[in-house]
Amino acid sequence: MPEEHEIYTLKQVANSIQKAISERYNRLYWVKAEMHKLNYTIKGHCYPELVHKEDGKLVADMRGQIWKTNYDRISKNFSEIVKEPLRDGMTLLFQVKISFHPLYGMSLDILDIDPTFALGELHKEREETLKQLSKEGIINANKALAFPLLPKRIAVISVESSKGLSDFYSVIKNNTWGYNYFFMLFTAQLNGDPAIEAIQTQLKKIEKVKQHFDVVTIIRGGGGEIGLSCYNNYALAKAIATFPLPVLTGIGHSTNTTVSEMVAYRNAITPTELADFLLQAFHNFSVPVKDAQRILLQESKQIIKTGQEGLAQEIRVFKGETSNLLVAFNHQLKDTSRSLQLNSNIRFHEEKKYLFSKQEKLKHGSNKLHHEKKYLLNHSILTLKKNHANFQFSQQSRLEDLSIFLKQTFPKRLDKELDQLKAIERNIHLIDPVQVLKRGYSITLFAGKVVSESNPVSVGDKLKIITLNTSIEAEVTHLKNNENE
Amino acid sequence: MKMSEEITYTAAFEELQLIVQEIEEGGISVDELSIKVKRAAQLIKICKSKLTSTEEDVNQILKELEGE
Repeated sequence: MPEEHEIYTLKQVANSIQKAISERYNRLYWVKAEMHKLNYTIKGHCYPELVHKEDGKLVADMRGQIWKTNYDRISKNFSEIVKEPLRDGMTLLFQVKISFHPLYGMSLDILDIDPTFALGELHKEREETLKQLSKEGIINANKALAFPLLPKRIAVISVESSKGLSDFYSVIKNNTWGYNYFFMLFTAQLNGDPAIEAIQTQLKKIEKVKQHFDVVTIIRGGGGEIGLSCYNNYALAKAIATFPLPVLTGIGHSTNTTVSEMVAYRNAITPTELADFLLQAFHNFSVPVKDAQRILLQESKQIIKTGQEGLAQEIRVFKGETSNLLVAFNHQLKDTSRSLQLNSNIRFHEEKKYLFSKQEKLKHGSNKLHHEKKYLLNHSILTLKKNHANFQFSQQSRLEDLSIFLKQTFPKRLDKELDQLKAIERNIHLIDPVQVLKRGYSITLFAGKVVSESNPVSVGDKLKIITLNTSIEAEVTHLKNNENE
Repeated sequence: MKMSEEITYTAAFEELQLIVQEIEEGGISVDELSIKVKRAAQLIKICKSKLTSTEEDVNQILKELEGE
């Protein structure tokens, strides 16, 4: 038994290690590790198992611990920023205090987890998935599929309770065009890590009965936006990309498009939009059918109409031509008959006249005609002579009457007129001024005019007195009114 | 069986488009018209019924899934 050996109790050793470690690791460290298992407990504390792998081999494995108060804070902050819950398998950056406990041994006391680093890691996973799918040449495999003319038999991967699914059904079932779809639900969790496996399982199921379906839809929505990075998972994205039927996604979120959505035949932002897409596909089928119906009707009518019009035109032309021909024949016939009638009439008339004249000539000889004419002439001369003699006689007797009348009346009348003229001559001689003057009368003039009541004289006026043989100049010396005597 | 029906409606749709094209281009005479229109009417019926019918049976699919 070696007596010189110093002996320590286990507690002493543990305390020594604890002391050494707390002295050596006296600050906080940022440690990158994969959180293999979170180990959340009912009390709210977590004891995550942190590992470090190199080429798939485990090279470090340590226990961590997150006390409830820290965990609540870390978890809340992480979810808000990363849009993912803290989950197993994530590579994270932990702020730790290295501690040693005599009872529980080495552990990393986790005080914080850097969400930015987690984001970077998730992004890295997304990029790697994309890169890998591209490398394999399958990134557009699903998009390259021929889309069915009518996507009417639809395999739905979703959960019964999903708000997104009920929105989707509601839009489809309330369509007013009577479009009918066949749906079959394949239930699968749609968030977080379990979704990766669940969706793939259902895709495999659908593939078995793919002849019953036209398309597959993955519908999620109403469950918040946490836990969608599963759609960046390589295995899931590949399963979708290489699926033999077109896969339509309506996952319903506003964050970055996931790889699964990118490789799907079509990604709708929301389940409602996905429903609209399916309805639109039906429209795209229905509208040309309706158009075809309309065009066929319209064109058929046109073809028949054109045919009928052509026929009618032919009939019209035929009718026109034949009636023209008939009219022309008719005219010709009428003309011929008219000219025949006319000519025969003229001929007949001429013949008749000719015959008649011959007959007349024969009946009355030219002598008789001559005799009659002569008689008529003589008769006329006689009448003329007689009339003339009568006229002459009556005119003569009238003239003789007139001359007798004149001879009887004219001389008497002339004598009477002469007597009257002689009496007038006597009267005129008696009133001649010369004869008056001869009888001793004179004419007294004042201012060239006979003195009278209208040409009175005053004392001193010069007067001219005319007698038969002389003219006397006199002056008024005294005036006396004859009436007063 | 379902596949052949799908071919039928896809083919019906295409044949219908062909007839419409022919008729629009004026390549159909009055003599052919009645045959073409009759055929088109059948095709339209097939296409229209496809929009509103449901012919899949969930039980049949489930049976097939279980049988695997």
